[in-house]
Parts: sequence; C-alpha cells; structure tokens
Amino acid sequence: MFLYNWNSSSTLATFLATLIIAPIIAIFLSAFLGDTSLWPHLFSTVLPRYVYNTIVLMLGVGLLSLFFGISSAWVVTRYNFFGKKIFEWALLLPAAVPAYIIAYTYTDFLEYAGPVQGLLREIFNWNDSADYWFPEIRSMSGAIVVMSCVLYPYIYMMTRASFLTVPISFYQTSLIYGRNSFFSVALPLARPGIFAGLALVLMETISDFGTVEYFALETLTLGVFNVWLGMNSLSGAAQISSVLFIFVVALLTIEYLARRRQRFHEISSGQNMLESEILSNSKNFICFLICITPILLGFIIPVLILLNFVFSGFSVINFQEIFRTTFTSISLAFFGALFVMLISFLMIVISNYKSNNFQKALIFVASCGYALPGTILAVGIVIFVGWLNKIIHFHLSYVAGGFVVLIFAYTTRFLAVGNAAIRSGVLKIHPNAMDASATMGTGFFKSVRKIIMPLIFTNFLIGGILVFVDILKELPITLLLRPFNFETLATYVYQYASDELLQESSFAALIIIVASLGPVIFLNSTIQRVSQKKQSN
Amino acid sequence: MKTKFVNILILFITTFVPSLLLANEINIYSHRQPFLINPFLELFTEETGIKTNVVYSKKGLAQRLKAEGDKSPADVILTVDIGRLYIYDDLDLLAPINSKKLLNNIPIYLRSPENTWFGLSKRARVIVVNKNKIKDGEITRIEDLADTKWKGKICTRPGSHVYNRGIMASVLAALGEEKAEQWAKSFVNNLAKRPQGNDRAQVKAIYEGECDIALINNYYFGKLKFSEDPEQRKWVENVKLIFPNQGENDRGAHVNISGGGIAKYSKNKENALALLEFLTSEKAQKLYGEINFEYPVNPKVLPSLELQKWGEFREDNLPIIKIAELGPLSQKIIDRVGW
Repeated sequence: MFLYNWNSSSTLATFLATLIIAPIIAIFLSAFLGDTSLWPHLFSTVLPRYVYNTIVLMLGVGLLSLFFGISSAWVVTRYNFFGKKIFEWALLLPAAVPAYIIAYTYTDFLEYAGPVQGLLREIFNWNDSADYWFPEIRSMSGAIVVMSCVLYPYIYMMTRASFLTVPISFYQTSLIYGRNSFFSVALPLARPGIFAGLALVLMETISDFGTVEYFALETLTLGVFNVWLGMNSLSGAAQISSVLFIFVVALLTIEYLARRRQRFHEISSGQNMLESEILSNSKNFICFLICITPILLGFIIPVLILLNFVFSGFSVINFQEIFRTTFTSISLAFFGALFVMLISFLMIVISNYKSNNFQKALIFVASCGYALPGTILAVGIVIFVGWLNKIIHFHLSYVAGGFVVLIFAYTTRFLAVGNAAIRSGVLKIHPNAMDASATMGTGFFKSVRKIIMPLIFTNFLIGGILVFVDILKELPITLLLRPFNFETLATYVYQYASDELLQESSFAALIIIVASLGPVIFLNSTIQRVSQKKQSN
Repeated sequence: MKTKFVNILILFITTFVPSLLLANEINIYSHRQPFLINPFLELFTEETGIKTNVVYSKKGLAQRLKAEGDKSPADVILTVDIGRLYIYDDLDLLAPINSKKLLNNIPIYLRSPENTWFGLSKRARVIVVNKNKIKDGEITRIEDLADTKWKGKICTRPGSHVYNRGIMASVLAALGEEKAEQWAKSFVNNLAKRPQGNDRAQVKAIYEGECDIALINNYYFGKLKFSEDPEQRKWVENVKLIFPNQGENDRGAHVNISGGGIAKYSKNKENALALLEFLTSEKAQKLYGEINFEYPVNPKVLPSLELQKWGEFREDNLPIIKIAELGPLSQKIIDRVGW
C-alpha cells in the first residue's frame, strides 16, 4: 500500500517527518536495547501509582479546562454583557503564564505559611493547622486547578473560532425547531476545534514536569526522572516514557477520529453571524462570573503575586541582565516559531493532498514530541545528533551548531501545535478548490501558493503565535541543549525559582508574561477580524 | 518588508555569535546554578587570565556529553552530590588526572579511586528540630527518627531527591538492606504530611508548626539565617541543628560532596586542571564556606567562622563512592516504602 503515490513533494515530507521522529526513536531504541531488569521492580512498586496519578490528572485538567474554555467561549460569542469586549481578549491572557510559574506563586500564596492562611488565622484566632481545615495546594486537586487555569485558553481559542464561523442559518434552523442552539448546533459543530484544543491541553498535562515536581505528584513524567537519575538507568526511564507514549498515541487517535467524522467544508457566501443577545441583570452577572473566574485565577492573581515579589525584592533583581536576556529570548522564539510553522505548513499540505496512508501516518506520528517530557525529548535529540555527527561528520561551530540543534528541538517539540492550527485551516478548504486550480494547468506548489496560502494565512498566524509563546516559556529543552553562556528568560527564572528564590526570579517571570501578552492580544484581533470578514461577506 | 526581515536576521546573528572562541578559555558543564559558581570563576579568571564559559542544567548534561563524544567542547564538569558525579564516571566520560596538588588537598575518601572525580566541598545532611519542642538528647542519631514517638512530627522532601537518596544509602551502608528498609518504613510512618517542597520549605514547615523535625543540608540553615528576606530569617530563629550519629562508637554524620572532574575528550586539559586545583586551593576553599556555608574538603582549611559557630562534628569516613554505588538500591527501597 505504501508503494504507490510517491512523488517528490511527499518524499520531502516523509523525509522531514522521519527526521523529526528520529529523536523519539532514539529514546525507544535505548529503552529496548538497554537493561530491562528494572521492569519487575517498577511494576510491583511505583508504576501503578504513576499511571493512576497521570490518569487522574489528565481527567481533572481535561474536564476543568473544557469547562472554563467552552463556557467562556460561548458566552462571549453569544451574549452581550458587562465587560464582554474586554473578556474577548482577556480570556487569552492566562496562556501567557507558564505553568511552573503559576505553581510557584500559588504555593507561596496559599500554603500554610502564606498570606492567605496567615490572615485567616489572625482573623479567627486559630493557633495552628490542627484548628482548621484548608485545602492543601501541593496536591492533586491543587495541580488540576493551577494547570487548568493556564491551559484552558487553548480550548477557548479554538472553540471560539468555531463558534464565530458557524453560519447564522444553522442557529435559525435550531430556533425554528425549538432546540437549544448551544447543544444542538454550536457544540457539535465546534467539536473539531474543541478536540484540537483538548488534545493540546492533555499533551501539555502529560509532559509537564515543573508543576508535578513542585507539588511532588508522582506522575509518569516524574517517574521517568526518578528512574533515570535515581537508578542511573536511562533505559528504565525510556521504558516508562514508552508507557507515556501509549497515552499520547491514544490521544492523537481520538483527536484524529473526531476530526475526520466532523470534516465539513465551508461555503462562504451570504453567511452572517448571529447578533449577540442582550441579557437581564442576573444572567448578565452569571456571564460575567463565568469569564472573570478563569482570568482571575490564571492571570490577575499570579501577576499580582509576582508584582509583589518584584517590589519587595527590588534590590536583589539584576535588571540589566534581564533586559539582555529578554532580547535573546524574543529573537529565539520568533525564529523558532517561523521555522516550526513553515515545516508544519509543508507537512500538512503535502499530507493532505499528496500522500498515501503510510506517509500520512508518519506525518501524524511526527507531532508526538509535544507530549514527551521535554528533558527526555532533549536527551533523544542529543543521542540522535551525536549519532548523525558520527556518520556524516558535519562541522559547525559550537555556537551555530547549538542553535541549529535548539531550533530542531523546538520543531520536534512544538510541531503538534503548528500542525493543529494548519490542519484545521486546510480541512475547511473545499477539495474542489485545488482540483479547479489543477485543471487550469497550474502546478501543485503554485496552486498551494495561490490558493491555500491566502486561505489559511490566519491559521498560520495563530499557530505561529502559539508556538512563539510556547518557545518563550519552554524550559527543559533549552536548559539542556543551549550553547555556553546562554540564558533565556525561562532558564533565568528557573535557576532561582528552583531554589525557591522567588524574589530574584520574579521580574524575569513577569517579563515572560508581558512578552507573551503582545502576541496573545494580537491573536485575538486576528480571530476578531476573521469573524468580521465573515459577517461582512 | 524584506529588508526589515534581513535586518532582524542580522541583529539575530550578531547577538548569538559572540567573539570567536579563544584558546585561553575553558568550557564548563555545571549542575550548579550560575549565581553560585560565578564568584569562584571570576576569581579564577582574575588569577589565571583563563576565561570560563558555562552551560548550566540540573539534568541530562551527562547524556549530552556522552552523545557529543570526542567532539564535545566541554572541559570541566562541576556537579553537586556524589550521585550525579558518579554518573559521569559510570558512563566513562571523565579523564583520570595525575595531580599531586589534588591528592594533597582532598582526603582519600572524598575522591574516586581512579582519580577521575574529586570532592570540592562538603555538606552535611543534618537533622533540624524545633528547639522549643524537642529536648536536647532526645534525638541523637538518624536511626532515632524511626521511633514511633515522633509519629506525625517529621517533614521531608520526597525520597527520590538525590539528597535523600544519599542519606538512605548511608543508612543502607550502615545497617544492611533489611534493617535499612525497616528504618525507612518506620520513618515514612512518622511523616506529618506527604513528602514535598525543598529543604528550605522543611524549615518553614517547622516554623509554622506543621512538624517539629526535618532533614536538611546544613547550608540551607545558613542561607535562611542570612537571607535577604526578613521572613526567611524568622524561620531559623526557633530551630537548631543536630549533627547525627556523634556517639563515641558511632559512624559520624553523613556528608556529601560537590565535586568535579575533567571531560575525557577535553582539548584543554591543562587549563581544566588549573580550575580544579584552584577550587581546592585555600583561597577558594574558604570561599565555599563564605558564599554557600559548605565545609572545605582541604584539611588545611578551617570551616568559616559562621560554620564553626554551628558546632564541631565528626563525619562518616565511609568512602563517598559507596553512597553512589548504593544509589539504585536506595531508590528501590524508597519506591517500596513510598517515601
């Protein structure tokens, strides 16, 4: 079956996909060629715990993010209420806050010694922890809440984009039949977007190390590190990673199937958006509450805590160094994002129009890097690049080589994000468009440039911005693969925060958030523009 | 649009490609945070004129070094904890060094038998207690922490952390697997809450009354005592340190090391050795105490005045390599008892 339909463009895509999968394969080779004697011990002691915790965390974060993301996307799209115009973009703000930073800040804020419990003790005259009950922030539910607070924007964004583009006639039809337009029209039609967002959320959840380490939650990812560093066994660690990998493939498959069954093409003529509905006071307030809660939890409170650290630690913050680092970080993220999106574009377009099933599967698997723990992926890259170096003896200076490796690493890591954005654009293009272009005697690449490029430019932009923000926040890969004397904002924050020196790290953490804000707000205006264009059609 | 893009590209390249690598430089892979090692490196550059370049990461540097093979730019490895140092040796990434200076400056039990790695400073894993609640002499040994009378009184970071794996290995070396596991089980039964947080957080928990007893590395006591943050200074006011296992026939307190070695494929071994020798010199050894409240390995150097104030103690002279060798078994015990 994979013998037919090889052509130059699909060969290129296959080659790229293979390159991107190679580090993952490197890890698995080391898993199964290595020592397998640890399995019985892992099975009988920690593995069930790791798997159980991972599943609970995924379920929790998944459900809460869905709730935050879909409910807020629906009310800001459908209703007119107090603050709606602000909420439209403010709901994206938490995407700028790295999960490990929100974990640090909330722990400091809510733990026994923090200001909240201190105040409560003072007010109620409690002496110690025996006198009252307070939820433990360093717990499973704590992790679920803090992670959902910063991850839900993926779902919000993708769902909202779907809600905005549902033609008014669909809603009208549901009204005629007296059905609930949310459950019978909006939700089913937004399913591809929702699943795309959910898959990203869950993959981030699985691969998270910063938060689970800080909260001492024994998930598979934490287990990978315990085995690798604790038992001095990279192969054992890789074996646990392969359990992780099963989760990821399952996730990606579910997402793929959900999309496939929901594939529909837009025929954009004479469609209008529904006017937002004006609400009574009590409903007004409920909408307000639905939107303010995630923003408060995921953005306002952590930023205020960080600001407080900046003011109290003014003397120990090295501003000059942080500004230099900011420039490095932003340039790196910009070029990284550009590169990732070009590769994504190439691969998805080719996979959609030019590939056989084998190639499609390969390209599909190439997005798995998103869900592996960053450090493990980084080790895979190190192994792969070292191996490549032995075969073809490429000589780059250490500095330039370091950047090539970093950008390659970001591509294996964040391709899933780029692919999700591009794919949702490509799937909406009617197949006839490309066929029509072909009948005009236009070559494939020219058709892509003339037809597809303009139609999915917005998706390209959305994906690019998400990847930009992701790279800006990225920690474990940058930490391990960077050249000498090289700091990004994230590595700068980490060297202090990992030692619980929050004051020293607070300003850099704040800058990460501020630097991500611009793109995030821009993202909103893009989505807005698209919907307006649709309305004016 | 295009020219703008080219401009950005040029700006990007000029930022990222610093001056060509000079001969008189060494490249360091470090597991210690830059802000901790910079004072040493600055002094080193001042004295020798050798510039230093650093990559810092807590994890994976050994795998990076291994994969880079003979093309690796790294000259010196600096790490904390024997568990991490040993990984480099285990992967055969370190060059044996023949240096009289190092042999003289470092006691035999704190360096590798093959002279591939060397301890550069010592830290003691000590018991810290609320001095208002735990009387003198009630706890004198690590073994005492397994006593059921401390049920619900002990806080600790997770067992899988390299520092706790170290103390577990030390107990394992002293008691044997069966008794060590018994100890770990009873110890875990005494915990006030699920293991979490770092060593600082344990002292904080004592201050806030969540528990009365914790295990920390000695230097955290100093870091808190002289913290910029007045809040943190308060935490240490009502705690005291206990150096465990000081009895006449007892083994002494478990100490761990920060250490270093020279990369097998270093192209600059001479300068690399200069750095290691410098780090064991009297000047640098004093700095370890002053900057980070660690004990000198060089027997000719006294601990800093502040460290002396915390009391003298006898350390366990078990060859430090044993701690690393017992690491995997320690981790298994930790997994089994759920620490």
